[in-house]
Amino acid sequence: MLLNRVNSGGRWRIRPDGIGKVTGSLTYLTDMTAGSMLYGLVLRSEYPHASVISIQTDKAEKLPGVHAVLTYRDVPGLNAFGIAHPDQPVLCEDRVRYVGDALATVAAESIVIAQQALELIEVEYEVLGVLDDPERALHADAPLLHPKGNAMHRTTFTRGNVDEAFKQCAYIAEEIYYTPRQMHTYMETEGGLFVPEADGRLTVYSPTQHGFMDRMQLARILSVPQDHIRIISSPIGGSFGGKDELNVQPYGALLATKTGRAIKMHNSRQESVRAGLKRHPMRISMKTGVDEAGQLIAHRVSILADTGPYSTLGAEVLNFATEHVIGPYKYEHLDVEGISVFTNNGMSGEFRGFGGNQAIFALEGQMDRLAEQLGLSPWAFRKLNMRQSDDLGPFDQPIAMTEGAELVWSAIENSRLWQEQVRMKDRSAPKHSEPWIKTGIGAALTMHGAGLGVGIPDPAGGRLELAADGKIEAVFGYEEFGQGLLAALEQMLVEQFGFGASDIRMVIGDTDVVPDSGSTTASRATAMMWKSLQRMRKPFTDQLLKQASTILRCHPGELRIWEGGISLITEAQLLLTYEDLAKQTDVPIRSETSFSFPVSDTKRVGAHFMYTYSAVVVKVELNSLTGRVKVVEQQHAVAAGPVINPQGYLGQIEGGSSMALGFTLLEDAVMDKGHYMTRNLDTYLVPTIVDQQGIVEVEPIEHLPASDDYGPRGIGEVGSVTLAPAIAAAVRQASGKWVTKLPIDPAFLQEKPFFLTGE
Amino acid sequence: MSDHEGQSSTSFALHCFINGEEQTLETTAATRMLNLIRDELELTGTKRSCDIGRCGACMVLMDGIAVNACLTMAYQCAGKSITTIEGIAKNGIDPIQQAFLEEGGFQCGYCTPGMIVSVKALLESNPEPSDDEIAEALSGNICRCTGYGGIWRAVKSAIKMRGSNR
Repeated sequence: MLLNRVNSGGRWRIRPDGIGKVTGSLTYLTDMTAGSMLYGLVLRSEYPHASVISIQTDKAEKLPGVHAVLTYRDVPGLNAFGIAHPDQPVLCEDRVRYVGDALATVAAESIVIAQQALELIEVEYEVLGVLDDPERALHADAPLLHPKGNAMHRTTFTRGNVDEAFKQCAYIAEEIYYTPRQMHTYMETEGGLFVPEADGRLTVYSPTQHGFMDRMQLARILSVPQDHIRIISSPIGGSFGGKDELNVQPYGALLATKTGRAIKMHNSRQESVRAGLKRHPMRISMKTGVDEAGQLIAHRVSILADTGPYSTLGAEVLNFATEHVIGPYKYEHLDVEGISVFTNNGMSGEFRGFGGNQAIFALEGQMDRLAEQLGLSPWAFRKLNMRQSDDLGPFDQPIAMTEGAELVWSAIENSRLWQEQVRMKDRSAPKHSEPWIKTGIGAALTMHGAGLGVGIPDPAGGRLELAADGKIEAVFGYEEFGQGLLAALEQMLVEQFGFGASDIRMVIGDTDVVPDSGSTTASRATAMMWKSLQRMRKPFTDQLLKQASTILRCHPGELRIWEGGISLITEAQLLLTYEDLAKQTDVPIRSETSFSFPVSDTKRVGAHFMYTYSAVVVKVELNSLTGRVKVVEQQHAVAAGPVINPQGYLGQIEGGSSMALGFTLLEDAVMDKGHYMTRNLDTYLVPTIVDQQGIVEVEPIEHLPASDDYGPRGIGEVGSVTLAPAIAAAVRQASGKWVTKLPIDPAFLQEKPFFLTGE
Repeated sequence: MSDHEGQSSTSFALHCFINGEEQTLETTAATRMLNLIRDELELTGTKRSCDIGRCGACMVLMDGIAVNACLTMAYQCAGKSITTIEGIAKNGIDPIQQAFLEEGGFQCGYCTPGMIVSVKALLESNPEPSDDEIAEALSGNICRCTGYGGIWRAVKSAIKMRGSNR
């Protein structure tokens, strides 16, 4: 059944954070101000690669209205950050490795003065050669960007003997795929307010996807104990992975500490583009072979990722891509290698899909090419080679077994659009009234991992409490960046416990009060909240009912949780409000849980245990005169277990697929010799409503095996990873051309008009 | 906090109406309306995102027409009536806002005030727009979260709601 408001009935709810968002009354962290605040700015490198000879700040310091000019000399602790491996300087000392590298940071009484101060800082550089090509960065004579060399991370995975196996293949597809430097383009750029408190602590109001990680990193930089820092990190105007790593926080924190004044920072879009993370551009070479009957025999993959100047989670992204170039198919012989390379280009890092987007575009492209060589339907070919529910995962690791792959495959096989594709046979089938408009239909399939994977601490948990004022407090260390975390949490508390929405107070994004529930990344938060609530439901409701029964002088078994308070099981009548319960009981009513995201029993670092399966079929119209592709219809099937919040689920798949549409057709943060050619949204084009006039249908498949107690799978990323290869397949049908490079260059698809060819 | 603000220092007294209230603001002629609204008047519902008129996050109504506050200077506002997102719900929540709530026409919410302002401008001048007219009117408002699905549904629903309210 399609996911929409009508089919969802009463489960379609208005989000608890909705009113503040539609009326503009919600205060984002970049909206905040403080009475005597100063404005903070950062001086960034003029060059993609240079030695720094000297940094002179005297003139800037003397400018009236300037309160601090800080350089590397002023970093009390570790002058570096990076979630996995801190190798990015907070303030560069002797070398800059990209145009976003920070050299100094200033605090001043106005933005104008701060800007003038930046201009008065004199940096003497010795310009070095720019390594803007990851392949060249691996040459023996390339200068080393880091002591251990330019190969930031390598991966391999092998099975059997591909060289021998290719000799047995009847058909082989060999291709090189290229993917773009996509920008997150969260509408709220990085920023926040940094407030030194009277007790010597520092409060950081700044968006992040894991408050405790920011707290740890900032404590390390400031050289203070972690509990001297409080991170308040929600609400967030979009992140998509882009605010997972530190951005302006080190500068705000250093300036606030130094000046003793509140510091406001809010990046301009240009600065956000220049310094911020992007999706790893990848070159993925694949050689894949089948036997006469169409059975996959051998698959060889080589991934080359441009990780930019510093690590952040580049290694983890490569691990993820390595797993996902294998995907939901079975091969006897497998040889995968990946390398992620330091360059002087922009920072690459964590971004929704996390390396899956690139991998799946390439892998699904291979499936379509092989099917065509075999003369088989591309969908039938996938079925022939697809994993069965009890097969091991891509790295031969045990996984939570579901029938997800088969279920999404069947949903697409039976979809109206795929049936239309079967009838089309060839590209000329449906005659369009404008003969230069060509139609095509394509489909793709994926399994996408959730959680951080083997080898990375992945804590989860939360707390429920009856507060003194009678509110049911749900406290989690997760962040709300728009995905609808609060809506999902509220809906679970209402549906699974029986509370009314107005009984509940949700507390998130404040390290002083929340438990460390782990990061709000990797499609994990809703699943971990669900599991936490499952674990706390009985102990928490038992306590509520027990204390209520003492007050009401009855047996707890006669009572139940109800909207507004405790009621009799036998009739819907409120006997005791939560407020009265809180007032009359002297026993704290509280439940807390902590556990870990489930991991696979394997040593393979990064291997996943829980997967979401999705398949999508799309219809495109290609204007062969302009080379522009319009996506006119999309049908998504997503197997992710129970739908927790219908509106949020639909929004995640629609929104994720729009991001994928941009990845496929529009978006690339173009760089030239280490400089961004694109600086703002006039030259970096994301989809607008004009690009999204087509139909998008989402069919959630909720079925899970009876023994499965892992609950809902993540849906935050999966919408963004499957569309690109489906569009490429549709373009093949419409144009006869195989797309290998994203975003698709219209010039590649332009054809000489029929009235010029004389046909 | 844009790169070019405040470079002209000639003072300018701006008389205008903001959300129905007469205002006199001591500023400069070239100060961006976005800064006046957010920094001087502390109406932070109007958002800052690109500063070059490409994203629509700072959209406000000027005499009923949607304009980018980041591209509008103080002198251009003289005598005008400016409505920000805060003004739209002044007399209770607008049917457009109600439609966005019900249909899920927002996620992170950062583009939402500007989006709602653009929808308001459209429907006030054209109560029953075609799909192409809706697309054109909202083509200057970027939403990175929703993929516009919820926004389409919200606009359609708002058209209906307003129609039946008349």
